[in-house]
Amino acid sequence: MNDTLLIIEDNEQNFYMMRFLLEKNGFKIIGAEDGRKGIEMALRCKPLAILLDIQLPEMDGYAVAAELKKHDELDGVPIIAVTSYAMVGDREQILTAGATGYIEKPIDPETFVAEIIQYLPKDREDKEK
Amino acid sequence: MINHGNTSCLGCLFFRPFFLLLIFSCLGALPARSDDRIVTVGVYENAPKVFTAESGQPEGIFIDIIAYIAKIEGWKLHYVSGTWREGLDRLARGEIDLMPDVAFTVDREKTFSFHKVPVLSSWSQVYALKSSGIQSILDLSGKRIAVLERSVQQEVFIRLVSGFNVNTTLISMPDYKTMFELVARGDADAAITNRFYGLMHGKKIGLEGTAVIFDPSDLVFAATRSDPKQLLDAIDSNLSELKIDPQSVYYQSLKKWTSEEVRFNLPAWLQILALVVGVVLLVSLGGSFVLKYQVNARTQELKQINQEMELRIIQRTAELAAAMEAAQAADRIKSAFLATMSHELRTPLNSIIGFTGIMLQGLAGPLNPEQQKQMTMVQNSSRHLLALINDVLDISKIEAGQLNLSFESFDLRPSIEKMVKLVSPLAEHKGIDLQVNITPDVETITTDQRRLEQVILNLLSNAVKFTEKGHVCVACRTENDHYFLSFADTGIGMQPEEIARIFQPFHQIDTGLARKREGTGLGLSICKKIIDMMGGAIGVESQWGQGSTFTVRIPRQPGELT
Repeated sequence: MNDTLLIIEDNEQNFYMMRFLLEKNGFKIIGAEDGRKGIEMALRCKPLAILLDIQLPEMDGYAVAAELKKHDELDGVPIIAVTSYAMVGDREQILTAGATGYIEKPIDPETFVAEIIQYLPKDREDKEK
Repeated sequence: MINHGNTSCLGCLFFRPFFLLLIFSCLGALPARSDDRIVTVGVYENAPKVFTAESGQPEGIFIDIIAYIAKIEGWKLHYVSGTWREGLDRLARGEIDLMPDVAFTVDREKTFSFHKVPVLSSWSQVYALKSSGIQSILDLSGKRIAVLERSVQQEVFIRLVSGFNVNTTLISMPDYKTMFELVARGDADAAITNRFYGLMHGKKIGLEGTAVIFDPSDLVFAATRSDPKQLLDAIDSNLSELKIDPQSVYYQSLKKWTSEEVRFNLPAWLQILALVVGVVLLVSLGGSFVLKYQVNARTQELKQINQEMELRIIQRTAELAAAMEAAQAADRIKSAFLATMSHELRTPLNSIIGFTGIMLQGLAGPLNPEQQKQMTMVQNSSRHLLALINDVLDISKIEAGQLNLSFESFDLRPSIEKMVKLVSPLAEHKGIDLQVNITPDVETITTDQRRLEQVILNLLSNAVKFTEKGHVCVACRTENDHYFLSFADTGIGMQPEEIARIFQPFHQIDTGLARKREGTGLGLSICKKIIDMMGGAIGVESQWGQGSTFTVRIPRQPGELT
């Protein structure tokens, strides 16, 4: 069963925190610190879902989401945007760019994992049951 | 001009009311059928005696008089329009009761009956330009005379001039108007009309009645031969009355429809007017010379001042442009600074909050009680710091006019419940009863959900924060086109001077070192600004030591409160 999540995040501490929380809940984590590597890794590993930071160096999260959407083989892989304090319009902009869902920083350790799970494909939950 | 002496006027003042009373009492005594009171009057086109106005209503001297008599007698008038011929035919057949403007002839008396007091005395009259010099019928010799084709006037006139052996050229025209225009243009030397048409229209076009007058006749109302409604007697008695009083409807009507009165008054007016105009002209002429001199002198001065001003304006404009550019640059730097700070301050703070949470959850291993307590303090302080940063950023955006709302439709009830859930742990900890009362009619709202929730949370946490015992009650209900929310607490309340400043930014800073409450003092001013932008209103009532109630009215659809 595919339990791998890809986290595209340049901040080491944020990456560490998300990996820590998700691994505690039984997910396998792979990571990329910029958009290019993230897209490459997504195509290679076909993860269960992609967690995508918006404020990335060079290629930002909007561009990464748009690029990921062009690849048919990633159809059905949710892209969950994770970004600090949302500016007005951010939500619409990232959803338009192709993200499935949206999680705001600061990450709340108590709810973070549950929020991620709600965006995962339904059939996975069924299989778990 | 008809002039009845003022001799009988005094008598009429006393007599008239008595007379009217008499008529009314007679009417009351008669068992009048409703048909008796409806009087049908023929109308044809012969201004100003009788004609149809532009409004479609009949007007003219005969109409004024019959309308007045009808009012006195209690008749209800019906008008039937048609040509002169049709009117007489209808009267002969008894289809109408009265025909106005009929001259008595022996021939007509076989078919109709007439009342005795004449309404108008008319005659035919020769009208010509004022300069024509026509004094008598002999002056018409060799002139071109416009006449109404196939009219009685034409026949009578031909007989008249031939009796005097005067040769004229007759120009037959279809109507009076064309005839007068012909004379005014000089295409005819004179025109023959009845005196009333001449009175009404002659002066306007520059024509004058000459002394050549012929064929006088009295004009009256004609009724059917039997006159079953006895209209003619009533007309006679009223007409006699009207002709006695110089202020009566009769004379007012004559004055209104002919220029007789005006013709006599105009010279007096003209004299006064001319005198006034002349004096004004002289004074202004003299004044204008004086003024011209003064204006020239001032113009020179003004030119000089103007040049100086222009120079100064150019200087100041340049200074302002520079200042503006500097201000805009500063504004850009400020915005960029805030955006950067927002990110840079939050990122490490997010780490602190996140890892503190992880440790407190025991995810990284168990904590002993002292560690648990200290980590809780770290968590609270870092959350507080984040709230402060958010407030400062919000108020900066508001001051810079960069706070934008994003409107969407959502259910209000779950939003309120979500915010209540966030403060309920603190309320529970403090032993405060947290009551929620949302009426069933609270449904969807279209506004900025995040910002509204921010306001609700702010008011809720304030209420819980400043209440030590008792309860906090949040209520929401529908009022017309808006929702009404209230947040009532039994907390410390506020002094009146504090209430006045509560929604102003930085109000806590004013109290300096003496301030007792944590927070930036920005929260409520942000709330007010947000609610204002949503088209709503925020208010507060409070008593020191008793508690406070904050109220919010917010439109259900974007727009202003009604």
